[in-house]
Amino acid sequence: MAQIEQSDGGKKKKGAQKKMSIHVDFTPMVDMNMLLITFFMLCTTMIKSQTLTISLPSNEKVEQNQMNKAKESEAITLILTTERNANGDVKNDESGRPMNTVYYYEGMPDFTDENGDGLLDNNKLKAEKFVGNDGKLQQGIRKILHDRNKLVLEKIEVEKSKWRNKEFSSISAINDSIYQSRAREIRNDSTLTRPVVIIKATPEASWESLISALDEMQINQISRYQIDNINKNDSVLILDYLAKNPKK
Amino acid sequence: MGKVKMKRKSTLIDMTAMSDVTVLLLTFFMLTSTFLQKEPVTVLTPSSVSEQKVPTANLASILVSPEGKIFISIAGDADADTKDTWGSEALRKTILDEAVTLYNKQHPSNPVQLSVAQREAFSKINMFGVPFQVLPQFLSMSQTDQDKFITDMTQKGVGIPINDNKDMEHLNEFQIWMRAIYNSGNDNLQKAMKKGEGIAVKADKDTPYNTVHDVLDNLQTMKMNRFSIMTALKTEQE
Repeated sequence: MAQIEQSDGGKKKKGAQKKMSIHVDFTPMVDMNMLLITFFMLCTTMIKSQTLTISLPSNEKVEQNQMNKAKESEAITLILTTERNANGDVKNDESGRPMNTVYYYEGMPDFTDENGDGLLDNNKLKAEKFVGNDGKLQQGIRKILHDRNKLVLEKIEVEKSKWRNKEFSSISAINDSIYQSRAREIRNDSTLTRPVVIIKATPEASWESLISALDEMQINQISRYQIDNINKNDSVLILDYLAKNPKK
Repeated sequence: MGKVKMKRKSTLIDMTAMSDVTVLLLTFFMLTSTFLQKEPVTVLTPSSVSEQKVPTANLASILVSPEGKIFISIAGDADADTKDTWGSEALRKTILDEAVTLYNKQHPSNPVQLSVAQREAFSKINMFGVPFQVLPQFLSMSQTDQDKFITDMTQKGVGIPINDNKDMEHLNEFQIWMRAIYNSGNDNLQKAMKKGEGIAVKADKDTPYNTVHDVLDNLQTMKMNRFSIMTALKTEQE
């Protein structure tokens, strides 16, 4: 392929030049290309990282009467924590997952201790884990949040099936945007009972566990959630829970 | 007995086809590549289901190392028309001037002075993270020394100092930088920051929450309530 053959048209003339073959050796070219490819392969980032936009409340003091209080029946508080070893590294369980625990309670915590044994009589705190889905079934904390936001999710599921079948529009960009706006409407529909989730993280909780919690909000289409600072009462609840359910 | 003559075979292999293939591959990699940005620490971001892409222009990203050291990287306009005023390098210089002025106003007894060469050096750095007092010394170093200096997490002069200051009259160094970035005069960057796309927080997935909380709390104090968090895409089984 890389040679040029010169022939004299088959006729042998006296004094004609000998048949010449020009051959270009491409091996060094290939070598050089391979080196360049290696360089580019090592220097590129194929996967662009994603972002998750969040908004936090302002740090300014809000007047007590201006505060937007969550209804007790709607509130659910998540407290995130991660188990760490003596070096501060995150511990993994048998299956290699980081040991992130989500404590949660619904409504207001109850601190009554009538029999005076140092333990709360009615600690509503429960522990769950981030375990994701088992096939189509929700597990762990996702199931709890899913059940709390059932009305919204059911309505969105109807829209979602329409979106899949492209019922809104045959043009996929329009189809997407109509679905998005309808889903947003349902998420913010105040006539449905929707939970208000308060996410709190203990100081040792890993960054990953906070992101997982924010992820659950997206997955379960929860529109009202906030990240709050942990306070003394939450620590009391966790300590009480651990006293009653000692770790194995 | 007649001699058996072996026919000589040429051992030449035609490399043309091979060359074609490699050039094609090379073209592909050259076109798709976005170069890895130098960062003082490699962090493994947590995964999430969010599919928003990280913007490449007009972004201030804050990197939090597992030790709690803070680094900032600034990217300006990608538009070629505004390259001279708001391109990354020009923007960094403007922000540096703004930040140094703010710092000197608050610390009149111990002001920081930077030479033209040091300003030039700053505009070339993708990610920086040293206290103001160390800045002149850091910018005078050669690039290899800078890399060595900034990747050594045990150094005292690495990372932008931060505390839980709420007093807007006496900003801490991290707050000075964030204010300087916000007031850079680049409208696109300011708009992006207001929308929450202009600020990205990047931290390792194992970093304790209280380390990152410092940054989040400072951003809240600065009224930068909306920002994004850098994550990786979640795989199916997660």
